[in-house]
Amino acid sequence: MKKLFLLLISIGNLYADLVLEITQGSEQPVRLALIEIGGSSYEGNEVIEIVRNDLLRTGEFDVLTNDQLLSIPASEEDVIQRDWLLLEADAIVFMNIQQEQGALDIEYSFFDIGYKESIEKRKVLGLPDSVRQTSHYVSDGIYEFFYGIEGVSSTKLMYVAKNSDIYKLIVSDADGFNEQVLLKSNSSIISPAWSADAKDIAYVSFENNRAQVFTQNLETGERELVLSSNASVSSPAWSPDKKFLAFSTTKDGNSEIYLINLKSKELTRLTDNTAIDTEPAWSKDGKNLLFTSDRAGSPQIYQVNIRNKLKRRITTVGSYNARASYLNQDEIVFVHRGESDFNVAKMNLNTRSLDILTSTKFDESPCIAPNGNVIIYSTKDGNLSYLAGVNISSRVKFKLPALYGELKEPAWSPYLR
Amino acid sequence: MVSIFKVSMKKIIYSLFALALLFSCSSTQVEKVSQQKTTTVDLTGNQAARGVVSRESVDLGEPYVRIYFDYDKDNLREDMLSDLLAISKLMKENSSYTLLVEGHADERGTREYNLALSERRAKSVEDFLTASGVSPFNIEVVGYGEEKPVNNASNESAWSKNRRAELFFIR
Repeated sequence: MKKLFLLLISIGNLYADLVLEITQGSEQPVRLALIEIGGSSYEGNEVIEIVRNDLLRTGEFDVLTNDQLLSIPASEEDVIQRDWLLLEADAIVFMNIQQEQGALDIEYSFFDIGYKESIEKRKVLGLPDSVRQTSHYVSDGIYEFFYGIEGVSSTKLMYVAKNSDIYKLIVSDADGFNEQVLLKSNSSIISPAWSADAKDIAYVSFENNRAQVFTQNLETGERELVLSSNASVSSPAWSPDKKFLAFSTTKDGNSEIYLINLKSKELTRLTDNTAIDTEPAWSKDGKNLLFTSDRAGSPQIYQVNIRNKLKRRITTVGSYNARASYLNQDEIVFVHRGESDFNVAKMNLNTRSLDILTSTKFDESPCIAPNGNVIIYSTKDGNLSYLAGVNISSRVKFKLPALYGELKEPAWSPYLR
Repeated sequence: MVSIFKVSMKKIIYSLFALALLFSCSSTQVEKVSQQKTTTVDLTGNQAARGVVSRESVDLGEPYVRIYFDYDKDNLREDMLSDLLAISKLMKENSSYTLLVEGHADERGTREYNLALSERRAKSVEDFLTASGVSPFNIEVVGYGEEKPVNNASNESAWSKNRRAELFFIR
């Protein structure tokens, strides 16, 4: 009876606003099979289905289905090596799934077909009603094992969904399942941003007929207006240590970048000229901010040192470069307009070489996954905007169109583990 | 070509396995799942209840006049000046009138930059009116960025209608 109850809960969670579709896969995916030790169980099938979809979604795995297999081993000892060599499989991932007080624990190991033995065992301890999240941990472990980069299946996405003039700020699992509404409003919501510990968010809401920045605690829903002003306050960005919020405001007549100490409410002004200065984004060490300024006549990316306020122009190629963020110490990602289209581009800060990553016409709001290897952005097809992504190392591209309405302003969570 | 890739990929994977073999110890890596609870804040229908004076609850109707702008520009076009001079005259004759200037942008470019641009457009209108003798205390400006297009299409004719300032008399 308890089992049945859990089953109903998990079906309730299956609703997803996002439908993911791979538009361009990797040329040389890792080929593997996911096999439950001791034959397949109901829970095991569910886990394997979730992990399989996670791996397929990266575009970097080819997951063999049971009907493709020549033999299905019940355990490591039963593997018939020849069958697997014929399939050109790279590895088998064996899973041992145990149920403990309503929670699933998953032990998984990587079976090397050449050596005929499991070479690494890992285990994820679940919580009650957390089959999906427990499975995502396994997916991330598998991804990390093969590519040496942390996987992002167990992270969250935040985005704005618009449907018949209702705006919803939503947080969901990275695969679009398990969506939860954080804010529902009749007015526009833009620029959602995560705090580094993923416990709080900041965003711009037009609920009082002008742009205002609010912070909101995810668990309690408690909101706080960051700066009370008759002018626009927008573009919030949390410092890595969560003590400051960088933002832009027009309280001095035109858009300038400020820092606010969230505890003392003390303001520090970082820019001071007659041009538009907006879209601040923190460096990982919290010492610099990238921002957009049209002080030279067109929007370009600049960097400001927070301590001495010295500014440096970063982009010089193209008539429109905006909304930048640091990909790592040496590279930045931003919106770039070439001939006519707006695309997501990355640039090396040392060599200044520009790399256009997307190919649709109206690409904006790029946001980097916490592993620094996947970028999600919003784009438009006809009159509807949707989310799309690109994997930097494999160049796999994917789309996350909404089942209804429009999706925009994606923000990828930090690691939650 | 593809098969060569495949082989080299396998080699890489095997060497990964070998490395893992060398460095793996007998213990199993264990991690625990964590979960976050969330709360929904619903603002639909209760904006007045929070004691905020909301202009949205008062329908402003159609703007008195719309002033259009060029792409990524906030300077006033010559063909828009006669409308603004008429507004200026009206406001100087009726010193109690208060004007709300809403700035807007087309969808191209980033939302935050467009928000700043739209507010600067509204500011251009304000600057023109104050330079012509209207009291700055009788003008309010606000930027909406690309959030409130009059035409949702993605073509120049829609964009040219969306790059605008809307002028309303609110008192």
